[in-house]
Amino acid sequence: MKERAFITLTNGFKDKLFRLAKRLLVSNEEAEDATQEVLLKLWRNKKKMAEYKNVEAFAMTMTKNYCYDKLKAKDSGNLKIVHSNYKDERPSLQREVEAKDSLDWVGKIMNDLPEQQRTVIQLRDIEQYNNAEIADMLGLNETSVRVALSRGRKKIREELLKKHNYGIV
Amino acid sequence: MELSNIEKLLEKYFEGETTISEEKELKVYFTRETVPAHLERYKSLFEYFSEESTITATRDLKLETKRKPRLAWIGVAASVALIAGIFLTRTTPAEPKDTFEDPEIALQETKKILNMVSQLMNGGKKELKYLNEFENTTNRLLK
Repeated sequence: MKERAFITLTNGFKDKLFRLAKRLLVSNEEAEDATQEVLLKLWRNKKKMAEYKNVEAFAMTMTKNYCYDKLKAKDSGNLKIVHSNYKDERPSLQREVEAKDSLDWVGKIMNDLPEQQRTVIQLRDIEQYNNAEIADMLGLNETSVRVALSRGRKKIREELLKKHNYGIV
Repeated sequence: MELSNIEKLLEKYFEGETTISEEKELKVYFTRETVPAHLERYKSLFEYFSEESTITATRDLKLETKRKPRLAWIGVAASVALIAGIFLTRTTPAEPKDTFEDPEIALQETKKILNMVSQLMNGGKKELKYLNEFENTTNRLLK
């Protein structure tokens, strides 16, 4: 496959990879790195690409794996202390300040969800993949996708309700 | 769409049982201008989803050229050549050769050289006799 053909092919889903990476890693810079890394890996294995049924789904799986690995590495490092020690059930002052408007707030809530629910909601509610596709990308069955989706959405609703009652925005 | 219908869809949505097209309906409904007060809090949720789907990556993809692997081969070739070079020069160490035909002359030459060395040694040792003087002085003090 020629360079140009590869770039045209991957441009079709490059942004989706980036958004998934950003959902999981949060930082823009790291998400760009992740996207780059996944596409380069794909390019290096371009001879095998004909074997993949769905290159896009395959690339999404690669991105997910890459990000999970990154998060695991971060978790085992010293960042863990920061995360576990300062966990507060109520929205922290800093978070309230950071959440300038209600859309940011939804983003904060979503990024506090467990990785799997976050990924599933990203793929379903933002990218609009169906559950079968998501199950395939994440190596789950469709039932667990639906369960993760429902749990994640309910958690977001719960948090939104809390905020509504506090009357923050 | 009717309000009761939207509420029903919302319930289904949170159970994870809506279809993609039903979710699209919800998105369309909640991104409208006005939504009843008790549903207001879901507005930001669906607005967030549609806004997030427009984010794009900004960095251009740079595919690596084939320059790198070629450079690696040059490195390998260079190190092989270096090691081969070392071995080739090592295998022919210079063997000691006899420079004199007659052992008698060789002995005399050797003696001459050893003599010269010992003369030079003695010349150097002369300077050391001052040290003896030093020894005398300390001994006198100690007694």
